[in-house]
Amino acid sequence: MLNMDQIKKVFRTDLVETYALRDFSLNVQEGEFVAVTGPSGSGKTTFLNIAGLLETFEAGTYLLDGEDVNSLSDRQRSALRNAKIGFIFQSFNLIPDLNIFDNVDVPLRYRGFNGRQRKERIMNALERVGLGARFKHMPSQLSGGQQQRAAIARALAGEPRFLLADEPTGNLDSLMARQVMELLEEINEGGTTIVMVTHDPDLARRAQRNIQIVDGQVTDFQLGPIPPAPENDRQSATPYA
Amino acid sequence: MWLYFFKLAWISVRQTPIMSTLMIIAVGIGIAACLVTSTIYMSLSKNPLQHKNNVLYALQLDAWDPQEAYDGPNDMPTQVTYLDGIAVLESDIPTHTVLMYKSGFAVLPENKSIRPFQSLARMTTSDFFPLFDVPFIFGSTWSEEADKIPEQVVVLSKQLNDRLFNGENSVGKQINLDGRLYKILGVTADWHPRPKVHDLNNGAYNRRDAMYVPMSVGIELEMYSRGNTNAWERENVVTFTDTLQSEHIWLQAWVQLDTKKQMEDFSSYIENYIRQQKKLGRFQRPLKYHLNTPSEWLSKNNVVRQDNRILLWLSVIFLLVCLINTIALLLAKFLKKAPSVGVRRALGASKKAIFSQHLYETLLVGISGGALGLTLSWFGLWGIRYLQPGLKDAAIMHWPTFVMALCFSLLASLFCGLLPAWKISHTQPARYLKIQ
Repeated sequence: MLNMDQIKKVFRTDLVETYALRDFSLNVQEGEFVAVTGPSGSGKTTFLNIAGLLETFEAGTYLLDGEDVNSLSDRQRSALRNAKIGFIFQSFNLIPDLNIFDNVDVPLRYRGFNGRQRKERIMNALERVGLGARFKHMPSQLSGGQQQRAAIARALAGEPRFLLADEPTGNLDSLMARQVMELLEEINEGGTTIVMVTHDPDLARRAQRNIQIVDGQVTDFQLGPIPPAPENDRQSATPYA
Repeated sequence: MWLYFFKLAWISVRQTPIMSTLMIIAVGIGIAACLVTSTIYMSLSKNPLQHKNNVLYALQLDAWDPQEAYDGPNDMPTQVTYLDGIAVLESDIPTHTVLMYKSGFAVLPENKSIRPFQSLARMTTSDFFPLFDVPFIFGSTWSEEADKIPEQVVVLSKQLNDRLFNGENSVGKQINLDGRLYKILGVTADWHPRPKVHDLNNGAYNRRDAMYVPMSVGIELEMYSRGNTNAWERENVVTFTDTLQSEHIWLQAWVQLDTKKQMEDFSSYIENYIRQQKKLGRFQRPLKYHLNTPSEWLSKNNVVRQDNRILLWLSVIFLLVCLINTIALLLAKFLKKAPSVGVRRALGASKKAIFSQHLYETLLVGISGGALGLTLSWFGLWGIRYLQPGLKDAAIMHWPTFVMALCFSLLASLFCGLLPAWKISHTQPARYLKIQ
């Protein structure tokens, strides 16, 4: 599904060159739920942006579903992103001027669906996340958890095969975080590949596979989930521990 | 997709009402200022004889004061004396030759319900109509004989015919002018060149000619010119005959020269005439004459004054300032929305889609600004007509100007929107996703 090989990403200013990713290689199989952890500034978000075709890279190859994304034009990358990738952000990133229905509608508009198809997909996605009755609400009228569920509905409406989540529970309280995590697991069980960046080792443990990024490189690669931490090391903030 | 973009544009405009209103006002005022000045400028600078610009010529002869050049365009008189005019008329080289002056009559209508009134008349020669392509709705002009032997005949303008005969065919009827009966030979169509290029000496935008009478009749009846008359020599001019023999300039002379040979022959004719006159003690200045095309004539007579040109440029600069302000406001507004754009990009919008979306918003601002501009222009032109009756005919917005204004507002809005839309469509989406 996702195959990155020797990816290099450098941020340059007049004075400094910062290597965000160096010789970064990763292979994610279809249907996997991968958690990406690492300290702040390690390159997690850069990895996610490159994986989501939002940023380019200096060297290496990235195959998404067997397609070399480096050779694609902006229009082709946008179409690929629209058709195959869904995004979930830490701060939800709902468009404040649009109601929930119109927010979920955004990726479908760029996909070229007709009005009937869009409406059907939007309502299905909202029903799935439990917001079917709130489609006319503005984002500011919803709680944090509801906003994140709306964002998940938006990501799901186009039925992407690949979901990228950047700290999806970072702005939620423990109850909301649990609901969102359960939703992601349910989506993954439906066959959608998920790559989730998180700081939270307890959340990471619930993924099928964990990788750790330090200084732009994969330093800890595991085939299975992280084993449960000893009782006294657990983060009491999350209910998943 | 365009409907969706317009919906987004409308939402965006509604979300920032003050900023959007400021932009619409800026575009509207800029377009209005430009539209008002360009309407006036275009009306003033129009050449109604453009279609015959290379065959018609207004004649200038320098028979002025040997001590001091004429104070006017190219230091030459803009009218001719009666003596010189008759000499021009005697030449059979031009296809058409016109000699004329402005005069007037008291019209005594046969219909007693219409009170007598004063009316302007153009005393001219029969060639006036073919030379200036004056269209007729009824009848035609008088014969060439009437130019030599006075006949009490008249050609009415459509307006006068409407007033006196309710627009009916009046050819063959008679009209009482100054107590004399004139036979009506023709009625012109609604002919009113603006500017009045055929007689700029008496105002480029004043009232239209109400009727046309053979100049021979004016001479016979000793009808003085009601237009400009200039003189330089201290002459004892008492009677009308004295005027005809004097150096007073009061007639306008036009010729139509269709071929190069006609031009050469007529030039030789004029040069010979001046040499001959010099021998008689006239034309004491260096031999000088000029045949002006209608466009040259308009330019020489400063129909479009320098301050009109300056005003036009100032209004264009003002519009540019307004547009630059709008660009700055749009740029600020769009960049403020960069996080939303980042989200849209993440959800599959291409750069082109983002560019189009924002261009639609600028089009909405531009169309609204254009509508405001047109409304303000209408009021502006109405104000000019009210305050400056002399520009009554010039300060009118015509359909082409209206369409031009609409196109202009669209172009202006596109001009305003290109940079901000391009800028926002090329921002890195990843940069804003974390800070939304």
